[in-house]
Amino acid sequence: MSAEKKTLESRLLRGAHKTLTGLSPAIESILAAIVGLLIGAILMYIWGYDPWRAYIALFKGAYGGGYEWASSLARATPLILTAMTFSICLRSGMFNIGAEGQLMIGATASILVAYMALPTPLGQIVGLILAGTAGALWSLVPAALRLMRGVSEVISTIMFNWIGRWFVLWLTIFILRDPARAEKTVSIPVAARFPVMVRGTDLSYSIFVSIAFALVLYFILWHTTVGYEVRAAGLNPTAARYGGIRNKRTMFLSFILGGIAAGLAGATITMGLPPTYAIFGGALMPQLTNVGFDGMAVAMVGRNHPIGIIFAAVFFGGLNAGGRVMQFYGSNPVPLEIVRVVMGAIVLAMAIPELIRIIPAVKKQGTELFGLFKRLRKKNAPKEEEA
Amino acid sequence: MSDTQMAGAPPVQATLYLRAEGITKVYSDGTVALKAADLELHTHEIVGLLGENGAGKTTLTKILSGLLPPTQGFVTSPQGPIRFTSPREALDFGIGMVHQHFALVGPFTAAENVALSHERPFSGIRLAQTIKQLEELMEESGLRVPLNVPIEKLAVGEQQRVEILKVLTRDVDLLILDEPTSVLTPLEVDELFALLRRLRDKGTSIILITHKLKEVQTITDRVVVLRHGEMVGDVKTADTTTEQLAQLMVGQALDPETGAVELSDKELPQTSTSAPVDRSGAPILRVANLTSRGNTGEIDVDDVSLEIFGGEIFGVAGVEGNGQTELVESLTGLRVPISGEATINGKNILGISPRQIYRLGVAHIPEDRWQLGLVLPFTLAENAILGIHQWEHFKGPLAFLRWNRINAHVRELMDRFEIRAAGPSAPAKSLSGGNQQKLIVGRELAKDPAIIVASQPTRGLDIGSALYIRQTLTEMRDKGRAILLVSADLDEVLALSDRIAIMYEGKFMRVCEPEKLDREQIGLLMGGVSQEQEVAA
Amino acid sequence: MSWNDIVSLVRIALHAMVPLALTAVGEIIGETAGLFNIGLEGILLMSAFTGLLGAKAGGPYVGLLVGMGTGAFVGLLFSVINTYWKGIQMVTGIGINLFAMGFVAFGLIQLGAPGFHDVPIEAELGKVPTFMGAMSPMILVALILPFLVFWFLKRTRAGLMLKAAGEAPEAADVSGININRIRLYATTFGGLLAGLGGAYMSVAWLGLVTKDLSAGRGFIALACVVFSGLNPLLALLAAFIFGLFQALAEWVKTLPSKPIPGQFVSMLPYIVTLLVVSGAIGRVRFPKELGVPYKRE
Repeated sequence: MSAEKKTLESRLLRGAHKTLTGLSPAIESILAAIVGLLIGAILMYIWGYDPWRAYIALFKGAYGGGYEWASSLARATPLILTAMTFSICLRSGMFNIGAEGQLMIGATASILVAYMALPTPLGQIVGLILAGTAGALWSLVPAALRLMRGVSEVISTIMFNWIGRWFVLWLTIFILRDPARAEKTVSIPVAARFPVMVRGTDLSYSIFVSIAFALVLYFILWHTTVGYEVRAAGLNPTAARYGGIRNKRTMFLSFILGGIAAGLAGATITMGLPPTYAIFGGALMPQLTNVGFDGMAVAMVGRNHPIGIIFAAVFFGGLNAGGRVMQFYGSNPVPLEIVRVVMGAIVLAMAIPELIRIIPAVKKQGTELFGLFKRLRKKNAPKEEEA
Repeated sequence: MSDTQMAGAPPVQATLYLRAEGITKVYSDGTVALKAADLELHTHEIVGLLGENGAGKTTLTKILSGLLPPTQGFVTSPQGPIRFTSPREALDFGIGMVHQHFALVGPFTAAENVALSHERPFSGIRLAQTIKQLEELMEESGLRVPLNVPIEKLAVGEQQRVEILKVLTRDVDLLILDEPTSVLTPLEVDELFALLRRLRDKGTSIILITHKLKEVQTITDRVVVLRHGEMVGDVKTADTTTEQLAQLMVGQALDPETGAVELSDKELPQTSTSAPVDRSGAPILRVANLTSRGNTGEIDVDDVSLEIFGGEIFGVAGVEGNGQTELVESLTGLRVPISGEATINGKNILGISPRQIYRLGVAHIPEDRWQLGLVLPFTLAENAILGIHQWEHFKGPLAFLRWNRINAHVRELMDRFEIRAAGPSAPAKSLSGGNQQKLIVGRELAKDPAIIVASQPTRGLDIGSALYIRQTLTEMRDKGRAILLVSADLDEVLALSDRIAIMYEGKFMRVCEPEKLDREQIGLLMGGVSQEQEVAA
Repeated sequence: MSWNDIVSLVRIALHAMVPLALTAVGEIIGETAGLFNIGLEGILLMSAFTGLLGAKAGGPYVGLLVGMGTGAFVGLLFSVINTYWKGIQMVTGIGINLFAMGFVAFGLIQLGAPGFHDVPIEAELGKVPTFMGAMSPMILVALILPFLVFWFLKRTRAGLMLKAAGEAPEAADVSGININRIRLYATTFGGLLAGLGGAYMSVAWLGLVTKDLSAGRGFIALACVVFSGLNPLLALLAAFIFGLFQALAEWVKTLPSKPIPGQFVSMLPYIVTLLVVSGAIGRVRFPKELGVPYKRE
């Protein structure tokens, strides 16, 4: 009887162990998310808000119903892509902080569709191609600078972000201007827009573009020789070179892919986000700003893996969508800016690898405790066995 | 007769300086570097610490000088027990170490490097004062160095002198030098030894780590020999000979009870047919007058020539650090030599990329499996195809990887080479060292190479894996492949090779069949004593 | 362009130089010791805001102090995460930037208007009339500090220790230097300087806080650091040059006929940075162990 029990227990333990190890990257992210939410809560509390209510409003606003989900997914759409930008470059060992600029340039390029009379689906396709190409071009120079002259891609991509933003502003105000309304560009014609998926929400079919791209990248990374080389070059460039991989070429390719992703992200906004389907020139370009940076946070929380990124994007999209609802909720509503605070705190928490030492430590404690129980039981049970 | 004796033994007022007892050191990856080593040190004495690589010499001295804590054992002095938690504490106590890989900051000048090791952070550096102090010291010690040039621009010998001066400014009671003469010219060596004698006469205790037998004879009063982490001999230099020391170093303990430590039968591969090597045709690998510089700029491979034929294992033996690594790097596309030739089946292999070298039929089992051989976060399967991932067999349309075929290949490898792991998707870092190495061997052999360059192939492996790999190499030899085996494990090289070369300071001291040399001769050659010198003495 | 215009340009340039110079010099100290902090942007933003709070509470000097404290705190956090906790420097920096954006935006709302807030006159550090017009005394600080830091790095033992920690930590460790502690001090002080720069922006120069106030200055400061090759004096020069370009951008906007659209002029500082960074490499030498966490055994 006790022998049976033992194997059952040990099997349960092993099963738990295995699940924990397999899930451990996801657990790190969840842990970091909890820490981030906690810090947000502390801040809210200090300034006199009720964190509990705020978070309830937040999550209801994010996932409470069909419309809410659609809202979250709509916000997640570009995030998936900008996260892929950061992620794929990171896979080959480089830091591409340029998603902001690449996205803006891509968005602007897609506006050109407004000057062509194209039927569906040609309009969407051309728009996407224009956007992706523009994004790739915008990432070309930093990539070349890094690989040929050793210039830190961190600095060059950031500079290109700012150059891009001013350039796009100029284009918006002067070149692509909508004659009817001065502060925006011409709108994407109806034929070229991505139709809204759930009526009354922001969610358009452009989300499929995002998911498709993420999946394509997943396949490339794990199921082609090209992706294999990218991963090897990022993880151990010495061994990779030794295995005949041309590191520079591979790194360049991943940078370009990242640029394409960011450009496409811009397109999903211009071609997929109601009601204007254009770029607003007001100095801050609200729809396009910070999407790149948020994407980096998504990439980190998504553990740099396309599938994880999709989940993380939905989470972050939910935070954004929920934030919009939260800011109107209750008698003392919390402004939605707290959401960015939470995001920042989550990233900070993710920066600490030691954070996850907690897990094996907990596991170890658990196993020890378990062993202790077993010993105790054995001590108290000898008579039963003999009987 | 040693020089020390010739000069007349110093008056012995030697007292006990410190005693180390039962020092054991096990590293976090499981390597046992030291096993219950005991050591006594006296004032007015120069002790030579002799042994091959991996014997534990550097580890022992790092423990004494405060860089590492011992896993077990303790150190005492006449004043009481000693325990250092940092090199600084050891320095304050009076123990200073001159490392083999200098602890110097490149862009700093000599004066700045010395100033770094002084007190009080916010003092304006009185460089002038430091310089004066150094100049006095240079007078006294006879070591000359330019003081205002950045260290990285100095020759290695000069750098070492700075390192020594740095330690001397701290007025140490115990001076430890780790292989100091490997970067010095003979004249500089004489000057160094003269300095050491002066220090010894003043009362300093000195430990000299070396693998050079002649040096031991020249300068030391006492010799301690380590082998595989254990103390195997502790004798007065005057009471022993180079031959005896050579024996101790490579494996026959002085005490007849302990017996010889040779490869047991279970560590040797099953005897192969061992057909005599056919050297009638053209060699597969031909190297002529190869000379390369090492990372420090010194000549590490000095005019090396060799030929390896199909169906033969050519072994390179010698204490590590004598150019073996640089030789392998030169032949596998990691280092560009400065002169000489090397060809595989007539085609040049020098100065080309690893990719091209693979195409010419060279497989390499690298010395540093984590840096060069594996991508640790990758799975077994992903590592197994590194370098051959472009094979047609593994590719589908559009550069897709056919994982089913790859996994089948990997399973076959796992079977054939008895690689124990959860499966092809197990991460490489979860494998034991032995299984990792077998994976690399399997991968390289799958390339069906003309020649296999195996560098320290069984280092750090358990007996079973080591045996397996040796077996594999022997089988490859029997199948007609050429094999270049470089190993610091002398027993292994002797057992497996058809011909061996003993490498010392970049040169091949001797190339011949292993049977033609006895243990003692080998030890001597490894220690730098060539035949002619032996005869002369 | 009249003489007045030139004087005006120089004056504006000097003002714009201050946050750049302070931040750059602070980062030089940190990078010399081996830590690469791209969270400078976030520090500038946060301390501009907290400086404002401090100034409202206790006057301009308190504001500056609070700003310094904020910067020091973030710097401390950064170094603890990345030395003792062996964190990832790049990620930490990005996290700081994100957090700062949210924190400041959130904070501004608490103060009243979302997106910006004026610094009340009493809280401002007054400008001093000079022959060039009204200038902030902080300019002097920004001009003198690089010289002090330069002396410190070259001529004190602590400066040597810093360089050793960044260049050859093993050698420094063996000489008995506590690498983690050195890096801690270095980045904390670097953060303090950046914090001073941020507080200056709100309290002593622009007189307001917006949620976008830093406008990439943290990254421009990084470019100054690259340009300077870790020499504080060159960083000061770089900061002035960038300040000049920013002033030029403003000036062009005021011209009655606009030869160049304002946006292009705004782009200029970043383009210049790019050129400088691309051209400067090869001449410049960084600590060998920059960005690499240090482990003993």
